This record gives sequence, C-alpha cells and structure tokens, in this order.
Amino acid sequence: MFKVSPLRKRQFLGGILGLVLGITMFYVFTLDAAEQYVSIGPMNTGHEELSCVTCHADAKGNLLQQIQSNMSHAVGAREHSVDFGTQDVTVDNCLQCHDRPNDRHPTYRFSEPRFSDAIKEIDATTCITCHSEHHGERVSVASINYCMNCHQDLSVENDPLDVPHVTLIANEQWTTCIQCHDFHGNHRYEVPVAMKDTIPLKLIDGYFKGGEDPFGTDKKYTALSELEWLKQFEDK
Amino acid sequence: MKNVINIMLVAFALVLNSCGGVPEEKSETVGSENVFSVEEVLEMVAKENDVTRTLYTKAIVGKGKLQGMKFDEDWRKDNVEAGPLPALFLRGVATSIRKSPVPLGLYLGSDFPVNAANKFEGKQADLFKQIKKDQKPQFFYDEEQKLHTAMFADLASADACVTCHNNHPQTTKSDWKLGDVMGATTWQYPKDSLSYKETVEVLSSYAKGTVDIYMEYLDEVAAFKESEKPEIGNKWPEEGNYLPSAEVFLDSVKKLSSYETMKHLVVAK
Repeated sequence: MFKVSPLRKRQFLGGILGLVLGITMFYVFTLDAAEQYVSIGPMNTGHEELSCVTCHADAKGNLLQQIQSNMSHAVGAREHSVDFGTQDVTVDNCLQCHDRPNDRHPTYRFSEPRFSDAIKEIDATTCITCHSEHHGERVSVASINYCMNCHQDLSVENDPLDVPHVTLIANEQWTTCIQCHDFHGNHRYEVPVAMKDTIPLKLIDGYFKGGEDPFGTDKKYTALSELEWLKQFEDK
Repeated sequence: MKNVINIMLVAFALVLNSCGGVPEEKSETVGSENVFSVEEVLEMVAKENDVTRTLYTKAIVGKGKLQGMKFDEDWRKDNVEAGPLPALFLRGVATSIRKSPVPLGLYLGSDFPVNAANKFEGKQADLFKQIKKDQKPQFFYDEEQKLHTAMFADLASADACVTCHNNHPQTTKSDWKLGDVMGATTWQYPKDSLSYKETVEVLSSYAKGTVDIYMEYLDEVAAFKESEKPEIGNKWPEEGNYLPSAEVFLDSVKKLSSYETMKHLVVAK
C-alpha cells in the first residue's frame, strides 16, 4: 500500500513499536487487577480496601470526547474545560463517606472571611491538608500545634482542668490540645481533668501515623465502607 | 509517506470530531439569562432566614421552654435530651446547604458571642460595627475566597434570645435587650448575578436546610429515653406539650415569608 523509505525504516518500526507498547500499557494499567501498581502510594489507614473508583470517578464522556472538549475550550469554542480521564477528587468525595452532623470542625465553616488568616497557615477548607492520601497514615500535618491558628483567645468558664486552658495557651503548649480533644469530636470518651491523665504525645503521633486509636474505638459515627457507599447510589 | 500521514491525521480529526464533545452542564446552558444580582438574592434568602429563625426561637424554643422542653448547645451529645438552640438551628441549616449542590455559604457571628470561636474578625468585624449603627446589610467581595459576601443584622427578636444569652455561663455580655443587634449572618455566593432557576435553587436549598435540621430535632425527640416526648403533629408548644411536624413548621414559614419572596420573583419574571 505504501513504501517506507529504507532511510526511515528504523523510525517507522520505532513508531509502530511505541504505538503497540503504548496501547498495551494503557490496557494493562487500566485493568482492575493493576490498581495497586498504578497507585502512587499505600492507602491511608481505613482506606486499604477501597478501590480507585471510590475516589477517582471516571470523568464524563469518553477519552476522545474529553480531548475534543478540551481542544475546543483551548481555542475558545467552548466555555468550560472538562476533566480528563478521572474527575478531580474534592472534599465532596470525602464527605460522601465521612460526613457527620457532629463534626466540630466541618470544612465548610472555614470558608468564612474571618478565617482567612488562619487558612493561610492551615487550609482547613479541604480534608487533604491534614489527610493527604496515599501515604499509608491517618494524619499528615507537619506539626500538631494547629489549634493556635484559631483558639488564641480561648478561656473556659469554671475550667475543670488542673492546669487552666488559659495557662496552657499563655505558655503556647499547643500540642496539649489534641491530648484531650480529638479534632472532629467523633469519639465517645471521658475527657481528662488532670494533665497527668492526658494522652501521651507519643501515642498521638503513632495514631497519626496509622497506629492504634488512643481516643478509643467507641465512635458516634463510622465512615461508610465501599459497599455502603455504593448502596447510596442504588437507593437513589 | 506524506500522504499517509495526512490521511491518518484527517482520519484522526474525523474520529475525534465525530464523537462530539462532552455536553456542557445543563445549568450552564439553560435558563442562563441572569435576572437577579447576587445582592438581591442574598437579601431574599436572608429575609426567609429571619422569618424562620424568629418562628423557631419564639414559637418552638420560647414557648417550648414554658412547657418544660429543653434546648441545649450540646443537644447532639448522647447523654443530652434536648433540641438545638437557635444559633445551632442556623448552623444545621448551613450544614445542610453545604451538602446540596448550591454553592451558598451561611455563617453566624457576633462581637460578643457565647462561643469565642464565633467572634468576628477583620473585615467582618469592621462591617459589623456599621451594621450595629444602622442595621443595614453590608456587601463586599471576598477577594481571597473569590466569593460575593453579604452580612445582615441578626436581631434579638424574642425574649428567649435575651434571657438565654444574658444568663449563659460563658456569656461575654449580659445586658442584651430586645431589638438589639446581637450578631450578623454572613452569606456567600460565587457569582455576581443569578438566573431565575439559580435563584429558586438558592431559596429551595435554604428551605430544605430548615426541614433537615428540624427533622434532626424531631429524630432526637423520638430517641428521648428519660424526658417526656412532646406529641408531634399539627399543634404548637403554646398549646401544650406538642411540636409541629416538619411539614407544619415549613408551611408556617412559607405563610410568613412567601409574599415578600414571591413579590421579588414575580417582578423579575
């Protein structure tokens, strides 16, 4: 049908080989069985059993449609671009399983203007600031002194703690907060009234890294499993 | 060879184009004529909020307390059998809105809040000083969040507001009077103007939020173990140990607020 110049033979064969390899890799890496090899790191604690699609939903349309839409957007023929391959993972994805009415620090609250300085320090409007995925841990903040960004003026009436909260704050002992109070307030447990009874930082650190939960296992709400999450869509 | 490449390129372009693009979102293409400014819409929904909160505070909390019903800031705790205080009722509405696809933000704050975490700071604190003087809404564009923002006075509209805040153990001000500007609601929306459809969606998401938090309260009542359970139906606490059902409650809100809202919607239509 067509002749390949002997001078271009190597380039031609290379091109064919590249195409075949590319298609094969695309096929193999999009198989369910290959998920663990595609993942950029181990799933965080509690997420080990989740499949990719739980968070990385397919983007709308097929690949060709997505290419066409984005090319149209690039040349100004379309108002909005579209996700390519998979949809962006957002807070809404997290909340589909982790939404709780009793969350004492829900992400949406931090969009209010008065938190603008605080979120420059720690962007609490999004889950991944503290719970970066694919690291095989629970909490990924660099330091656990984050309460200082909002609670500098805290004072507790009839303070039950042997070292008053105002003293801890004046001494900038911000790592002590988490030794009594879990950030999202979902554990049922007796809050200590003596500093000696608070949870040691070492245990907190281990918990953040994915270890045992020092606040206990009695929780008011538990996150949905993948099956329960799927069931939500069946019911709709 | 050149021909082959050209043919392949044309074929690729044809295949690519024949798929058609991913359809634009319907809400972006249908009813896109924007008929309301964001200020108008936020004023409408803030008005609905005023009516709802006043009704809840006066008719449920105020009258309910006279019947021995309890309302508590820790109402969600397992060992507390109570309903949400008005500020937490609003928080519940805000949470429900956040779960909806409508990008509306709602917050409550004050210069003398019971909970220090609700104290205004920065721009909001400055604007709140003006609101306290003239009770007029304040609008601004939040550059950092890229959100159009409005603040509306939150008045002490019922005795229950004044007595609870003055007597609260954590209060930072104990001389509140009826009619005082106790705080302000802050509302945010990403667009500067809204279509008729988007406006109705904003109003609906607020109404749904009201029902959601009120239903949560009724669920809490249903789970009471030690406290006497009010009867839920058509009657209100002023008649005895009764609570209106969610439908009855929402109907009353609609009766009180729908004329004003409808007037705006019809004129624009």
